[in-house]
Amino acid sequence: MEDAKQKTKTHAEAKGFSVFYRQCEAVKRVDLAIPFGLVTAIIGPSGCGKSTFLRAINRMNDLIPGCHTDGELLFDGQNVYGGDVDTAVLRRRIGMVFQKPNPFPKSIYDNVAYGPRLHGNLSKAELDERVEESLVGAALWEEVKDRLNKNALGLSGGQAQRLCLARALAVRPEMLLMDEPTSALDPKATARIEELIIQLRGRYTIAVVTHNMQQAARVSDMTAFFYEGNLVEFAATDDLFTKPREKQTENYITGRFG
Amino acid sequence: MRMLTRKILDRAFTAGGYLAVALMTLFLLWVLVPIFVKGAGAYVFVGTVEYRRMMLGEFGRGNEQRVAAEWAEVQRAREPVYEAIAAFERELPALPVARRKELKPAFQAVREGVAVLLGPAPGKPLPALTRMIYGQTRWRQAQDKAANILFEETWDYSGNGSQKVHVPRQPLFEGTALAPVFPLLRKELRSLLRPRLTFYPRFLTDPSIDAHFFGGIGPEVLGTVYLALGAMLIAVPLGIVAAVYFQEYAREGPVLTFLRSCVNTLAGVPSVVFGLFGLAFFINTLHVSPGKSVLAGALTLALLVLPTVIRSSEEAIAAVPRAYKEGALALGAGQWRTVLTVILPAALPGILTGIVISMGRAAGETAPVVFTAAVSVGKWVTPSEVLSQPTPALSWNLYNLCTEHEAVEEIRHVQYGMAATLVLIVLALNLAAILIRARVAKRLKV
Amino acid sequence: MILSSGEQTRRKLLSLAGRSFLFAVTSAAALAVLAIIFFIARDALPFFRASGVGEFFFSKAWYPAHEPPQFGAAAIFAGSFLVTGAAVVLAVPPGIFAALCMSDILPFKVSQVLKPVIEMLAAIPSVVYGFFALTVVAPFLQDSGRWLPGNIEIVSGVNALTASVILGVMALPTIVSVSEDALQAAGRELREGSYALGATRAETLVNVVIPASMSGICSAVLLGIMRALGETMVVWMASGNAAQIPKPWYNLLQPVRTLTATIAGDMGEADQMTGSAHYHVLFAMGFCLLLFSFVCNLAGEWMVARQRKRLRGG
Ligand SMILES: Nc1ncnc2c1ncn2[C@@H]1O[C@H](COP(=O)(O)OP(=O)(O)O)[C@@H](O)[C@H]1O
Ligand SMILES: [Mg+2]
Repeated sequence: MEDAKQKTKTHAEAKGFSVFYRQCEAVKRVDLAIPFGLVTAIIGPSGCGKSTFLRAINRMNDLIPGCHTDGELLFDGQNVYGGDVDTAVLRRRIGMVFQKPNPFPKSIYDNVAYGPRLHGNLSKAELDERVEESLVGAALWEEVKDRLNKNALGLSGGQAQRLCLARALAVRPEMLLMDEPTSALDPKATARIEELIIQLRGRYTIAVVTHNMQQAARVSDMTAFFYEGNLVEFAATDDLFTKPREKQTENYITGRFG
Repeated sequence: MRMLTRKILDRAFTAGGYLAVALMTLFLLWVLVPIFVKGAGAYVFVGTVEYRRMMLGEFGRGNEQRVAAEWAEVQRAREPVYEAIAAFERELPALPVARRKELKPAFQAVREGVAVLLGPAPGKPLPALTRMIYGQTRWRQAQDKAANILFEETWDYSGNGSQKVHVPRQPLFEGTALAPVFPLLRKELRSLLRPRLTFYPRFLTDPSIDAHFFGGIGPEVLGTVYLALGAMLIAVPLGIVAAVYFQEYAREGPVLTFLRSCVNTLAGVPSVVFGLFGLAFFINTLHVSPGKSVLAGALTLALLVLPTVIRSSEEAIAAVPRAYKEGALALGAGQWRTVLTVILPAALPGILTGIVISMGRAAGETAPVVFTAAVSVGKWVTPSEVLSQPTPALSWNLYNLCTEHEAVEEIRHVQYGMAATLVLIVLALNLAAILIRARVAKRLKV
Repeated sequence: MILSSGEQTRRKLLSLAGRSFLFAVTSAAALAVLAIIFFIARDALPFFRASGVGEFFFSKAWYPAHEPPQFGAAAIFAGSFLVTGAAVVLAVPPGIFAALCMSDILPFKVSQVLKPVIEMLAAIPSVVYGFFALTVVAPFLQDSGRWLPGNIEIVSGVNALTASVILGVMALPTIVSVSEDALQAAGRELREGSYALGATRAETLVNVVIPASMSGICSAVLLGIMRALGETMVVWMASGNAAQIPKPWYNLLQPVRTLTATIAGDMGEADQMTGSAHYHVLFAMGFCLLLFSFVCNLAGEWMVARQRKRLRGG
């Protein structure tokens, strides 16, 4: 992970960015630049605003009544909360994988084809190709290629989560957001997802929220530590875990937290 | 471009949602507003001197002297009308045959119209039907009746199709002794009838007179109260016992599943079938009464609301925190005692909600009581008669008055009054349920 | 506290007696539905035994007062199905749209305010709807014929259409509230999954949420059908009560007669009719209604169970 330490191009950047649930400020004037093509981990204790920040990047918080923002959040240099931004287009460019696998109650094929069908007129052959490519990308192809027309609700938790990843990849996003993608999975399935994240690194900018510090250390280039809505520290993963600059960070990663 | 179509479709879809909700709300208003506005007309309206005479004559209400004084004045005002009619009657035989042929039917219409409008002419023997003893008691209807005298309603076939037209009668009688009647009816109608804003709250409790031409809907309201209370009296104990059994005693198993699906099925039985059952079982098999009776109707309605009572009571019991129950059991109370002293009191508001809603349902149902309890004759039923006698009821009599009454149009105000009263009773009960529910929700939150 | 064995037995016996009492009362309440089936069937049987089923189901000649009477109920069955079908066709699209609007479009507070509207629509007694149909809708419809394209002359405002519209409104609360529950049950995760792929709200609802809650919506529609099929007063007052099949069959502007209205209308002089062939034929109709409602009820329950299982399985 040498390149992480070099100055890389920024893909998404928060500038004095806050998120409120009605009056309650859940993310407080955060400045954070997520570098292009790398894996950025967001860690912190439960309720510190990790999910809120992540969901703000593709404006998923718009769905929550009373949630509003302040400051700037740039994606590719453009303010995500600008007036002319179309959330449908934005979310196509920024894919998301959730904590709990949420496959649609449709066939495996239809799950993956869902996004491409919305956004473009692909021919049947192109669509087949896209589905295969995405499932291969999510390392699920070998397991499901013979039962693409089976209902996706029959998949195991780990498979379902990879299907959700394939589904997100199928619209060819530029960035992937993952909100604790392995917290509902067993260790084996978790390892597979982690492997995948490492494989996808470089092709996509990835932001992954995790409460598991080992996981952050294993998969990420950069790590951001949130505490009570504040960004306490943002540094290269190796640095943050070996020589944290802030006392709070140190307390957290050494498990002396109170 | 594609994005644009998607956006437009999305907007259209949202608009469809709003439209559906708006439609629903508008329909509710379309139903309720006319019923309440016109229904209010049964309680508050512009009454004429005839109304006050009727009230005095039939109910003994009102100030006798004042009514008499008013009546004397009105009679003076009416004198020219009767004089003109009498004069024309004398004049008629002397007219040429052709003219007589032309005028006679019109004159008869006018004379009858005046009798309908103002009541029987002075000196005439009183008719047998109460409705004919008095003129128009309500100003609105009086105006219509006056228009019926002033204009003849005929059909015009000259254009394509037919059209209703109103031809004035006055020109026909120009130059005859009857002519002064028309301007009088047009301009002096107020002094003939003396309209005045009238409040009649006892519409709710008065009996009706002469098939609802006058009076109120008291016996119907009482019948509805009998039926609804009777139904609840039977359904509530049964329902609560069943709910307690289902929630606290029953063990999972085929018997329980079967009993539950029986209750669910009961909820789906069409209301008219309950009526058939009530007739076949309570009346023709058990002979709970010689024929229709309040008792048979209440039993039938009780079955109808039973599933609702059971379900809502079950929900209420299920919502009682487990800790209450365990606390009571830990103190050594037996299961019975726990149910009676802890669970039921805690579940009471929820149970009450279900009871109140079911009561509204029982009050409004018609089909189940048609064969088991309801009659159209608006006679009071005393509490001692409920076991054997049928009763009028708001729901059934509303049906009866607007479809089978001999003068449906004349008593629209009574129909609307009945409909509004019935809706008000039902909605008040529902509102009560909503309030109870809100209080329960608040209490549970604290 | 140590009880003597006699005391203990007494307590046990008491508790057993209490339990039996509860069980007996509950069974009585639940088994009422069996009594209903039994007594309706008992009074329907004499008709089927005397006249068979051929005439009843396939003949259109309904002349109960003739000598000998003819009890061909085909037109009446057709009337019931026509009115119910039209009511459901009218009520389902707005019902589902309203449910979607309340579950996904309107803010929570507004849809809470709308709930009483639905409760009120459901609470208004059917006879009041019938009265409304008779005094407001029928004249309105009769007048509106002139404004319709082709200047249709609507002979009478009491016809299949009026009855269907009102039945549709009466079925609406059931359809809306049951579908809304089903839509809510589809869950937030599923919706977010779709939105995160760049779907619009309409796309999310149509492609994901509605399919996921399909069985709930179907059971809502079934319950709506039951409500419309079993409704008596409105059709009795507003359908015209002519035992005929409209020509063409979809002409809703003609009067029809339904099973429920026939039962209610013809049983009017029930006391004198007890035991006559006419009495028994009405029970035969009641029995058919009962059967329809059972079928709908079972299908509805089956669908709800399936939905629950599927969502839990996922
Ligand atoms: N929908 C919501 N409405 C109101 N407050 C919320 C909502 N979601 C989260 N919050 C609050 O925002 C804060 C941050 O939550 P979240 O971002 O979910 O934390 P994390 O993902 O780090 O555990 C918490 O205090 C939480 O209570
Ligand atoms: Mg979180």
